[in-house]
Amino acid sequence: MTTAHPGRPRRPFVPLPDETPTLSLGAAAPRRPHGARAAGAAVLGAILLGGLAAAALPLVVQDAYFLHSCIVVLFFAYMATAWNFVCGYVGQLSIGHAMFAGVGGYATVLLFTGLGLSPWLGMPVGGLLAALLSVVVGYPTFRLRGPYFALTTIAFAEMIRIWVENTDSVLGIPLNGAAGLTVPLRGESLAALQFNGKAPYYWVIVALLVGALAATWWLERSKLGFYLKAIRGDRDAAESLGISPARYQLVALAISAFMTGIGGGFYAQFFRYVNAERLIGVDLSIDMALMSIIGGQGTVFGPLLGAVLLAPLAEITRGSLGGSLLGLHIVVYGIILMLAVLYLPKGLIAPLRAVLARAGLGGGRR
Amino acid sequence: MDPLILSFALVNGLLIGGIYGGVALGLSLIFGVMRVVNFAHGSLLMLALYAAFWLQALAGIDPYASVVVTVPLLFAVGFLIQSVVIAPLIRRESALVVEPLSALLLTAGVYLVIDNLALMAFGPDVRSASTGLALAPLMLGPIPVNSQRLIAFSAAILAAILLSLWLRSTRLGRAIRATAQNRDAAALSGIDVPLIYAVTFGIGAALLGLFGSLLATFIPISPQVGLSFGIRSFIVVVLGGIGSIPGSIVGGLVIGVFEALASQFVPATSAAILSLGLFVLILLVRPSGLMGRA
Repeated sequence: MTTAHPGRPRRPFVPLPDETPTLSLGAAAPRRPHGARAAGAAVLGAILLGGLAAAALPLVVQDAYFLHSCIVVLFFAYMATAWNFVCGYVGQLSIGHAMFAGVGGYATVLLFTGLGLSPWLGMPVGGLLAALLSVVVGYPTFRLRGPYFALTTIAFAEMIRIWVENTDSVLGIPLNGAAGLTVPLRGESLAALQFNGKAPYYWVIVALLVGALAATWWLERSKLGFYLKAIRGDRDAAESLGISPARYQLVALAISAFMTGIGGGFYAQFFRYVNAERLIGVDLSIDMALMSIIGGQGTVFGPLLGAVLLAPLAEITRGSLGGSLLGLHIVVYGIILMLAVLYLPKGLIAPLRAVLARAGLGGGRR
Repeated sequence: MDPLILSFALVNGLLIGGIYGGVALGLSLIFGVMRVVNFAHGSLLMLALYAAFWLQALAGIDPYASVVVTVPLLFAVGFLIQSVVIAPLIRRESALVVEPLSALLLTAGVYLVIDNLALMAFGPDVRSASTGLALAPLMLGPIPVNSQRLIAFSAAILAAILLSLWLRSTRLGRAIRATAQNRDAAALSGIDVPLIYAVTFGIGAALLGLFGSLLATFIPISPQVGLSFGIRSFIVVVLGGIGSIPGSIVGGLVIGVFEALASQFVPATSAAILSLGLFVLILLVRPSGLMGRA
């Protein structure tokens, strides 16, 4: 410590932000055994190989409806992974993440219609705007804990949803109120991220998901990840070790919001339509949280597992039952959620991990 | 702004605000005793509204008379939710560290199940019930007062007073308060804590049964009606002070008047945004609420 005074040992411990977390790291996270590095590399390899294998699917299956359903499932997997990036590792429950998707989606569409900016650039710009919003929202909100935090995130998202739903234009930018915005058709155009077939969309969402999983993998092994886990374990203790909860939670939230915003942009391009109820509404926020929690929050593959198990339910009930049982899949979601909270609080991935660990494969699953 | 229109808005805001407060009573009680944020609060009100509607549609029972059915019915629903869904969590978690987020997630699951079962069973149509009583609007000077709202408002005030008295003076009420203060000490004194929890949840839900019947005559009934009431109840309870019975009514009155007056100057939707903003502000600045202990 640069400020240490040997003669005054009772001086309050005031850490420098860049220095002390490294010291505290040893206490917060014991050094991993030598094999762990290899296992970690194996997880990254599994992510990349799994992504490659998944990318080959459209070469084998050409059925448009099936591919469409796969894209929807992977979209939810991506969104749940983005949610998990902050909430799963910080241990806070956000039920307002859809606001970031809304910002990303609306920004992507508006930049395209207003400025002619390609969605390839519009999506990251939308992500950055979402990250900006997340800092504005998160800065005051992260002081709150437990249910208070969750309720505040709902309140922020609902404020934005109600505002967008009732605003036709702001500063000359058309928001089109409750009717929403459509993406003007450009035909088959790589620059406009519009395709006649489903396969290109499929490849885009696979790439996004691989990126989000890799980011989570990196988080698990980074200092940031250890800080977040320390904050989740005991916020006061983490703070006393010199980890600033506000700062690191905000960093993680901004990254998570960035990914969520890009997801919103993808949604807009894929459905060629955005509206406030779908993209900012509480249902999308709940879906993201739900899939992550049921699959196993705070793990790399948990949200993917949750989405792969839950999202098809919605597609199946919509497709085969023809909407005659409106809401059935959400009833099932609700029941699974309650059972998971009561009997598998670490998510469905926990028992799978135990099996795999016994087989000597480490914590990964695809 | 015309003072007559403004005073009309004020009276209406007070009436609606009192009703908000009454609807939020159960949420506050349940949180105060169990530290459980009941995400399904609005859904239970929605169930009560449908119960009143169907009792009239199928059996011809006037919504005001249906109170004798909806109150016990909702008590049973609440009692069941607590003893079947939430009790296992409380049993699992050791003393005093009930993970509040797990409880929130559980009740969010209840919300998803109830709302979507209602959607499946009743469809998305908006329905309404009507009373056979001839209720002319009362005149308060030049201001007409909607008598159905006045009835619900009076019931809210009365329910809050009776609930406070009951909690203060009866044996069961004292047991509930003791459990809220320290559930282990209460258990050591011979109080059956799981039963108290179930009864508390039942009472919280039974209050919604009452308001389901009283509101059915002037609230459009749909499967989605619950969430907006639920969110507004959160706002009311946070504003008034979580766990405080008078706080619930005061919070409701403040929100009701706030929204009614604000909607005279800005569109009603902006007023809704403002009250959500107020909610965030209260949580950030004074989380104990207006009437809560700081």
